[in-house]
Amino acid sequence: MATKTHEPVIGDGSLHIGDRVVYPNQGICRITGVETKQIAGQNWEVVTLSREEDGATVMVPKGKLMGIGLRKVADVAAIERVFDELAIPNTDPQLDWKVRHRENADRMSGGGLFGTVEVLKGLHALSRVRPLPQKERELYDNARHLLVGEIAAAMNIPLHVAEDNLDYALWPPPGMTRKGRPLPPATLGPPSPARPAAEDDDLGLEDEELGGTEEAVAPAAKEPDEEEEQPAPPAAHKAAADKEKSKSPHRPPKPALAKKARPAAAKKAAPVKKAAAARKSAPAAKKAIPKKPAGKAKAKGKR
Amino acid sequence: MIRIVTLSEFPPDVIDFVTRRLHAAYGMGCELEGEGEIPADALDDEQSAYDAVKVVDEMDDDVTLYADDKIVYLTNEPLTAPPGPMGRGPVDGYAQYGGGKALVTAHGLSDKGLPLEVGLAKRAAHYVGHLWDLHHCFDTRCAMHPGWSPGFAAYPEVALCLFDREKSERKIKLGSS
Repeated sequence: MATKTHEPVIGDGSLHIGDRVVYPNQGICRITGVETKQIAGQNWEVVTLSREEDGATVMVPKGKLMGIGLRKVADVAAIERVFDELAIPNTDPQLDWKVRHRENADRMSGGGLFGTVEVLKGLHALSRVRPLPQKERELYDNARHLLVGEIAAAMNIPLHVAEDNLDYALWPPPGMTRKGRPLPPATLGPPSPARPAAEDDDLGLEDEELGGTEEAVAPAAKEPDEEEEQPAPPAAHKAAADKEKSKSPHRPPKPALAKKARPAAAKKAAPVKKAAAARKSAPAAKKAIPKKPAGKAKAKGKR
Repeated sequence: MIRIVTLSEFPPDVIDFVTRRLHAAYGMGCELEGEGEIPADALDDEQSAYDAVKVVDEMDDDVTLYADDKIVYLTNEPLTAPPGPMGRGPVDGYAQYGGGKALVTAHGLSDKGLPLEVGLAKRAAHYVGHLWDLHHCFDTRCAMHPGWSPGFAAYPEVALCLFDREKSERKIKLGSS
């Protein structure tokens, strides 16, 4: 297939082999070379790129390189402007789904840094109003993924630090500032609606949970009348959540309940040394703790 | 398999609760692997907190890992992280995205109004999620919601939202083991 490799001019001449570039909708790639490929009887000069995330190879016909929106990784100044933009709260999300879909599709296929920021910011603002539908949830995750990757690459910081910083702007913690200006702290948004519990959600942990942890979890005042008004918990673990529901607070506007939980936390923090001493005196007992879940996983055929 | 290594003393019932919750959240086996020591040279310049990135990178343990095994280090120590474009913010852990190691601290949980084991399990589920390439989630009930937001304490259940649950299941199924 490959017949020759040479040191060519790539794109408009600003790109070189070894450069890190951003491929729209694919993320950070590194230019690995230019090759001539024979496809359907014709010779095509293609630029090969290696996606940094997983090493996948992307081949782009040389003539179309600039047309697809390939660009160099943003510089630090551009990233600073991104955070300036993110730190401005968006209180006016586009509510017309047709307009929103068209705009977001254009921004993502364009591959621009600020287009991705707009997509993320717009969907983030919308998520504060109502839960996102599945397609937009995927788009939100994709935009976040691309942005985190580019911030990390541009600033030379770990991906985790990049994402935390992104959310320091979107969900400002108390006391967070941007260029000396205090950001309004994040407030509690609406939870997503529940889905019906899947069959495998019941992992049979209920009986075991009662033994070890019931005294650790703060008791909550049960209000059966309000149950129907509240959206059900995310059904990932409905069984576990139901168990929690019966013994711990999970409704946002109840600071009184949250305060009730505090003594329990303090109570649990105190016996650390005592338990540690017990563990030292009987190290065999400590090893025995986790075998139940691991064994259960095997028995149930879970990974 | 998710392997837990404690870098501080934790009551056995807390570890027990965390392993069960991680098992329930990801459908993977989870067990206590043993104890370790936090690298002393990972203290930050002010000597007040440990640099989470350094701790994970410099952790010297002899845990045997197989394909797709994840290690979660649990500690009580305060953590910090390299400053980013927004400066420094609250840090309750660190994870190598798509990698194998995560660090979670119980420091500061008492201020959140959650029982120690619930808060620690929720944080651990969050950072294990990052190990499976999950990003932060806007759903306030989801374990992947940022830990400093009010949703963390308001919804104590250790659960993933539908989207993150399905994404993690896909990643786990595609795993090399």
